[in-house]
Amino acid sequence: MTRTEFMSGLRQALSGLPDEERANALRYYEEYFDDAGPEHEEEAASNLGDPKIVAEQILADFRELAAAPKAGGSNTGSAPPNPGGPNKKRKGINPILLIMLVLLAIPVGIPLLVIILGLLFAVAAVFITVGIVIAAIPVCLIAAGGAFSVFSFFVWNHPASALVTLGSGLGLLGAGALAALLLIKLCILFVPPLFRLFIAVLRWPIDKLRSI
Amino acid sequence: MSYPIASSLLDGVVLSIVERENIYGYKITQEIRKVLDISESTLYPVLRRLQKDGCLNTYDEAYAGRNRRYYKITEHGRACLRQKRIDWQNYRNGIDELFFGGRNI
Repeated sequence: MTRTEFMSGLRQALSGLPDEERANALRYYEEYFDDAGPEHEEEAASNLGDPKIVAEQILADFRELAAAPKAGGSNTGSAPPNPGGPNKKRKGINPILLIMLVLLAIPVGIPLLVIILGLLFAVAAVFITVGIVIAAIPVCLIAAGGAFSVFSFFVWNHPASALVTLGSGLGLLGAGALAALLLIKLCILFVPPLFRLFIAVLRWPIDKLRSI
Repeated sequence: MSYPIASSLLDGVVLSIVERENIYGYKITQEIRKVLDISESTLYPVLRRLQKDGCLNTYDEAYAGRNRRYYKITEHGRACLRQKRIDWQNYRNGIDELFFGGRNI
């Protein structure tokens, strides 16, 4: 590679730099060849290697300096880093791209969301139904017991059957009261932990998202 | 056998060369290449960074019908160099301790 080839390659590869930066770098290498002397030009060019790689080093260094400009240098004012320059690429996802992605996800996402919500609703309905059935047992027992006891007063002309009816009515009332107490006890024992579990399950995806 | 040269070490080497005399880019490269196996293209980014950090200044001087850019150390550069010399001494002492186990060879 000759000096001219190296320099034109470098000029091309540095085209992304602000003019002043580029001129500085080109000047440095022009001078470098001058100082190497005409008899060593070829040697210097081959030692320098591929101008693209040389330029890559300069560009990488420039990006680094532009990303974290340091104050306090006497020469820092000479070439203010271009704020709209190469470090613009480093920011996150392009907002237009993000909107496109969301739009593309809608046809798949909405049916999926509907299915998930439907499943959740079905599971909730089953749990609520089971709860109502369980709660209905003591209520029914108490109601039946009450009805039997009241009914027994209308059959006092057959005292024996009246006593049997009253007895079984009171028995049912007692069983209903016991069942109600048991249910209340079970509720106190199991509802708060179940509720906590439910909350934890709901929060899990949100926490997952937040930790990303 | 050669060791990879950390950029902080190269900064120190360049600063100490420029501290001795005001000097131009090609000469600095040749001075370093007497001792270290660096590519000839390594130096420009280093010089540029040291300049941006305010460790080096440049001035142009006519030479053989053209301008040559000379590098000159600043006060800030001298302070950096002092710190780098201390850092290097500590580093070297640590390595020596590991290599030679306190024996002086």
